[in-house]
Amino acid sequence: MKDFDYLKPSADADAVHAGQTGGARFIAGGTGLVDLLRLDVERPDLLVDLGGLEHGAIEVDQNGLRIGAMVRNSDLAEHPEVVASFPVLSQALLSGASPQIRNMATLGGNLLQRTRCPYFRDVAVEACNKRKPGSGCAARAGYSRMHALLGVSDHCIAANPSDMCVALLMLDATVHTHGPRGERSISLANFHTLPGARPDVEHVLEPGEIVTAVSVAKSGVAKRSAYVKARDRASFAFALASAAVGLELEGDRVRNARVALGGVASKPWRCLEVEQALLGKAATAESFRAAAAAAMHDAKTTPDNQFKVELARRVVARALSLAAEQR
Amino acid sequence: MLLASVLAPFIPLAVMHDHRSLLAQSLGQLGVSGGRDQPLVIAFAATCSLRESPELTRIRAELRGLGAALLLVAEGRIFTFRPDDELDPYGRRDGYDLETTAALRASCGLPVPQSRPHELALVVTSGNGSIVARQIVQAEDSLVALAVGLHAAGLEAIAPRHASMLSRREIVLASLVGAFALLAAQGCHEPAKPPPIAVVSPAKPAKPARTRQTALNINGQVYSLEIEPRVSLLDVLRERLGLTGSKKGCDHGQCGACTVLVGGRRVNACLTLAVMVGDTPVTTIEGLAKGEALHPMQAAFVSEDALQCGYCTPGQIISALGLVRENRAHTDAEVREHMSGNLCRCGAYSNIVAAIQKARAESTAG
Repeated sequence: MKDFDYLKPSADADAVHAGQTGGARFIAGGTGLVDLLRLDVERPDLLVDLGGLEHGAIEVDQNGLRIGAMVRNSDLAEHPEVVASFPVLSQALLSGASPQIRNMATLGGNLLQRTRCPYFRDVAVEACNKRKPGSGCAARAGYSRMHALLGVSDHCIAANPSDMCVALLMLDATVHTHGPRGERSISLANFHTLPGARPDVEHVLEPGEIVTAVSVAKSGVAKRSAYVKARDRASFAFALASAAVGLELEGDRVRNARVALGGVASKPWRCLEVEQALLGKAATAESFRAAAAAAMHDAKTTPDNQFKVELARRVVARALSLAAEQR
Repeated sequence: MLLASVLAPFIPLAVMHDHRSLLAQSLGQLGVSGGRDQPLVIAFAATCSLRESPELTRIRAELRGLGAALLLVAEGRIFTFRPDDELDPYGRRDGYDLETTAALRASCGLPVPQSRPHELALVVTSGNGSIVARQIVQAEDSLVALAVGLHAAGLEAIAPRHASMLSRREIVLASLVGAFALLAAQGCHEPAKPPPIAVVSPAKPAKPARTRQTALNINGQVYSLEIEPRVSLLDVLRERLGLTGSKKGCDHGQCGACTVLVGGRRVNACLTLAVMVGDTPVTTIEGLAKGEALHPMQAAFVSEDALQCGYCTPGQIISALGLVRENRAHTDAEVREHMSGNLCRCGAYSNIVAAIQKARAESTAG
């Protein structure tokens, strides 16, 4: 591992300032970054530890939650208000990683989680546009079973691995930041960027800009929500396909629906086609299956990952049924 | 609060060599020698008594690693101890006056009187006066200090130029044999200059510029260490403090063999940078048993035969303790789900679940 300096500021402004220096990286829980440091994928000159900042609280009011960026994944998943009013968020968090990692990983770090593409993680591989812009994409002609089908470009087919982000996107969360130009709020839908010709750019944060909190509003779809994740083993594995869904019912009819997909896209993916197809339909397994068929129509498959088209639709239908069963 | 700090050797080794004859003379007057085939560790402490404890187990292991006998000098008493000795409550040697022990201390190039009450000074010699390693450790518990100091001295004895070829013990013995051979060839006369091969590792590499003084609270003991920011908690535990119970499996947070409790919560020590831990208390597998009495979770792993090779076991046990504290896994299926961060390649899972359920039931019953 490359040698680097370490700084632990106690004020946002100091962190923002330090983060703008060349070769600086922010570190929160470290579960993603330390892994990548050890793989030599990340080679910073300076680590700026955000653990000294005051962003570790979950604030609850009548409208919803404001979650500090340093809140650990396990604490967020177990929070009574999250379990009661945002079950999809609790379920998504608990489906991710292991208890040890959830005890370390933070909200802010999870938002900025890097891809699990094996070619990105292996510096012996020359071609990775995300790691080395302009070098090519080894995954397109390589092993691509875990890779994305939606939002991909000729330059990158890496999948966003986060479960939490899928739930937060379904909840229409807002990201609050503090950067060189002050504070701002960004809709999570606009937070991550598509790879296009610049897969190395993954989000809209500026150099030195830190995430301070995420807010989510209470709603009917948040209350009646569910997360379903299909993976290669029963636990502690990244998603092949996952779905975060929320339903608002009127009698046995769907009045409002939200659907987001994980494991199949370059970034957390809102599935408006399925939401439209659900409106006014009966809350039954049959209509959920029919609506879910609207998902994945824009999928760009590889021979390795084409199975995810059908898998994602079934995951959506299953999640909708689970949400409908809640009282 | 207990405090232990390992300080680097503080006197240039050139000075140490001047003490060669003095130390040999001093040891000779005492009738003490490590023997020509055995290095000697001389430890100076204000107070120190050996007692059966996890620390003594570590001390025995470190002495075996060095192939050395221990000469413990404390309170005007001198006590010899070999790694496989039974503890003799009355000591082998006794009743030296403070003047004699002070002379021995001086002959090792150490300041007299001892500067700090909780300081333990440790010198590894060839038995005839060649000092091959030296450590100063500060700790309230002198046995902890002795264990840490022995481990550090062992590491110091591994010269970078030899490290890739020889184990620690081989290096010490090979070098000492070389030194003796040279002395023998010269008729055991004191050489005017230090023999070139007598000393294993006096010259420390240049201190890395980016180290930070960090105090870590491990199993109730505070260690003050110079740490590079890139070093993991796991590597500090294993390589600096000799606490090798926490295991390195994958080094990427995927296997759980390194699981420790930080602030009572289970985490992967391999993904934790030591400088980020601060003063948050850390519990490792070494911190569970009370003397010979196993922690109930350890006892349950034994009684339920919850292991085969045992490599993942420390991580499994610590993780299981975290699981019980979290109090969210109750059924076998929930225990399996919440132990998913700990892999067992032997496949002892069914017995691991049984052991956790047994210990969990006992803890809730108690």
